[in-house]
Amino acid sequence: MTRIDDKVRRVDALEKARGEAVYLCDMRLPGMIYARLVRSSVPRARIVDIKLPELPEGYSFFSAKDIPPEGQNSLLMIAKDWRCFADGDVRYVGETIGILTGPSRAVLKTLDESIEITYDEQEPVVSIDDSLALKGGPILGDDNIHCQLVSEKGGDIERVLEGAARIFEETVETGFQEHVHLETNAAICTLEDGHYTFYISAQCPFYVRKSVAGLLGLKPEDIVVKQTTTGGAFGGKEHFPDVLAGPLLVAESYLKVPICLVFDREEDMLYSVKRHPSKVTFRTGVDKDGRILGSDINVYYNVGAYLSSSYVVLQRGVFHANGVYNFPATRIHGYGMATNTFPSDAFRGFGAPQTLFAVEIHLDHIAHALGVDPVEYKRSYFLKQGDETVTQGHIVEKVVLEEMLSQVAQKSDYFRKAAEYKRGSGRGIGMSFYNHGGAFTGNGEQAIIKAHLRLVKDGGHYTILCGQTEMGQGFRTALRKIVCAVLGVDMDDVTYDNPDTSKVPDSGPTAASRSTMIVGRLAEKAALEMKEHLGEDHYEVETEYEHPDGHPWEQATFKGDAYLGYGWGAACVELEVDPVTNEVHVLGIWSSHDIGKAIDELIVHGQVNGGIIQSLGYASMEKMENKGGHFRQSSMSDYVVPTSMDFPRQEWGLVDNPYEWGPFGAKGMGELVFNGADAAYIDALERALDTEVHKIPMPVEDIEAVRRDG
Amino acid sequence: MVERCFVTKDLDEALRIRKETGAHPLAGGSDLMVQYKQGIGITPVFPWPVMVISGIEELKGIRKLDDGRIEIGALETPSAIAASDLVPWHVRQAASRMGAVALRNTATIGGNIGNASPKGDLPQPLILLDAVVVLRSADSVREVLLDDFIRGSKKTDLHEDELITAIRITEVPYSYAYYRKVGTRRANAISKLSISSLVLIEDGIIKDFRASSGAAGPKVIRSHEVEDLLKGHAVDEVPSLIPAITEGWDKAISPHAMPAYRRGTTARALEHFLSAVATLPPGPVIE
Repeated sequence: MTRIDDKVRRVDALEKARGEAVYLCDMRLPGMIYARLVRSSVPRARIVDIKLPELPEGYSFFSAKDIPPEGQNSLLMIAKDWRCFADGDVRYVGETIGILTGPSRAVLKTLDESIEITYDEQEPVVSIDDSLALKGGPILGDDNIHCQLVSEKGGDIERVLEGAARIFEETVETGFQEHVHLETNAAICTLEDGHYTFYISAQCPFYVRKSVAGLLGLKPEDIVVKQTTTGGAFGGKEHFPDVLAGPLLVAESYLKVPICLVFDREEDMLYSVKRHPSKVTFRTGVDKDGRILGSDINVYYNVGAYLSSSYVVLQRGVFHANGVYNFPATRIHGYGMATNTFPSDAFRGFGAPQTLFAVEIHLDHIAHALGVDPVEYKRSYFLKQGDETVTQGHIVEKVVLEEMLSQVAQKSDYFRKAAEYKRGSGRGIGMSFYNHGGAFTGNGEQAIIKAHLRLVKDGGHYTILCGQTEMGQGFRTALRKIVCAVLGVDMDDVTYDNPDTSKVPDSGPTAASRSTMIVGRLAEKAALEMKEHLGEDHYEVETEYEHPDGHPWEQATFKGDAYLGYGWGAACVELEVDPVTNEVHVLGIWSSHDIGKAIDELIVHGQVNGGIIQSLGYASMEKMENKGGHFRQSSMSDYVVPTSMDFPRQEWGLVDNPYEWGPFGAKGMGELVFNGADAAYIDALERALDTEVHKIPMPVEDIEAVRRDG
Repeated sequence: MVERCFVTKDLDEALRIRKETGAHPLAGGSDLMVQYKQGIGITPVFPWPVMVISGIEELKGIRKLDDGRIEIGALETPSAIAASDLVPWHVRQAASRMGAVALRNTATIGGNIGNASPKGDLPQPLILLDAVVVLRSADSVREVLLDDFIRGSKKTDLHEDELITAIRITEVPYSYAYYRKVGTRRANAISKLSISSLVLIEDGIIKDFRASSGAAGPKVIRSHEVEDLLKGHAVDEVPSLIPAITEGWDKAISPHAMPAYRRGTTARALEHFLSAVATLPPGPVIE
């Protein structure tokens, strides 16, 4: 019998460690052929002409003109502006123009290389600043703004700032980040029992069918999507698999044979979505005692060529721009800017990390200017239960940031070290605080998703049916464990397989740190009901999402409780900078998180370690540059993610703070653990070098510039 | 889609094939298989015939020659080189920091030299030590100073009928040694910059001073003029000579990317090493 506090071995551990798990690129279906996407090589141009070579027998090329009259050239990813195939013009490097299919991938490559595309090129818009300056003329409407919103709290911000004794103005920037999921994007489209069927490495099988059905004028339920074992995602397989699935479906509608498309690592780096680069400006007014009166904040995200899901990303950015702090007045204006770069999309944190980083280091800078310890300064603004949020809602839950701070401060010996290490001594310690709103923003869970889950009993065996996916985060283990712990059975008594949309109810996407909190709750409720029917040989129960009371939200004005609850975090980093080479030696990493309750401590430990290392990589070495519309880094040797040698040792802790509406009190945590170590690292780096940093990442060569320019 | 591929375990046969077909040698494959990859599911395509030489025993082994020089066979791996007591300290340092473990077990010293990348790890300390490369063809054998053999980025003096068979290193005495590699991260990393240096002191006088910089120009940089600035001077004069040396070195290197970082770090590294030397610490390795 498995109890919720047992530490269990992950159910997928052995098959993955032994190499037995079957990933999409391992699959061979009878008669399967291959596909290759033909992509734009320029960022902004009119397509003048496409000249195809003569195609050998068995080879085909499909493009926008092959979409049937009843279909639309559009991939639905919240917004539906992302075209399946470029048509008439191209808007970023790597945009899909067509799809080549045939039996040999070597021949497909040769054919791709002999397609002649003539472009009438225009000056591309690459950065947020390019976009704001309408470089080369607007690319979207007359202002290049894909989406915008404003959230206001407290008095009129201009009046508030007029009354300030001092105003701190600052701009903070963050760069692209690549997901580097170990398994690249991959999909097979085929026909099974008269239905278009996908095998696909993806987070959200139901998103895929919804996104592509319209290409052929079909309904989502006409299409079957089967998730294959997914080797990492981090948000990179939330909407992006649609970009593979769309062209495959169009080709399949003509060819009716299994077609396989697997991205090479280089393709996956150069031609896939990234984290939104950001630029955040602050005008923060303080009174004569240095107390914050209010802050006027502008948040700019580089959305790229298509809006897709970016409006929701931007909303999350705006709603997290105050960090974990209660400022009397804020005006936060968010702008999603159009550029000619690959569309930015979901990435662990989904818009929150950028603004959380910005507000953390902004407060560090203010505290430094005022001559007070940043941690002391920040804690005086900690949000508490009942406090008003930046969306004029309220913090519903108990906030235990003080306990987390004391846990981290004690383990790291922060206060002694902060006082002892002189600024500029080469050694520094820094701390950051952060949160993450769990599940979909606002009333999305209720209004958009309406998750369902089914639990089936056959004799002594139980099967969980839902659309949640395992992508390395441990959910197959966590969900089975929830059911086991309620029913009092063993892990082996419960089956929960990779979802097949024709067999499972739609429980919503595996995203937004919602799986444990929302779907885990549905499983807990289903198991509780099942418990009443243990005597029956066969029993089925289906549970449906119920919105907890007391979370008012008005989507039209973005007012109210933006999230159902928050995970909270505190991280501390101690480091030393090599005076000769600028290499940063991280000496200690300490963290504390409030995730409500850990469903499995081993999985949570893995998430904490991984999230923090990914955040430190984001702050330090993960540099993805875009020059003239082209990404410069195309391999795992030039886009560098950290190894355990870089950040070797972590101490971590949790504070118990059970969440009323989560299974066993659990809240979301997968993204939370990414959201803050970056700021602790930069805080420590600034103290070690006695300087101010206004952008990440900060590899050794950028530290050189900071050291030289002060 | 290899045009032609040969596999041989015999050096004479390899040299004959090389002469007759111009086949390029493939040993560990850690450069060639990457450079000529075609994407997933497609065999690498090489623009010339390829000859797999990894089974040739005559190209293996690390030994001390009768004349006292150390010879490293062209097929020796970084792992073996890093583990050998015969190999000079600087070279072992560089070998131990190349790429990841799998790469260190696969790559070869001959390949690392033949590839002639400015970021290559092994040429830098070898050039510091005036190592020579042994080049054989079916008809001849010659020794060339490695610094002359590598002519620029990806350019060598390898003749069309030759193979690199070994590297020979004359023992270079030193009182103090320094090696630093800055990679893109702390493991499994390509070099952003590397530097080796050594100083020999006899009776308080600098008898030898050498330095070499990797990833600081189209090939490994040495500057005999700058090295001469220190030779013959007393140890207590070293601090006053450091500015001239770092300035001279800065003129010798020509980093393309990240110039400010590479120049700044190279100058600080030399200053750090020589400042330490001037204090006559127990040595010989300066961290």
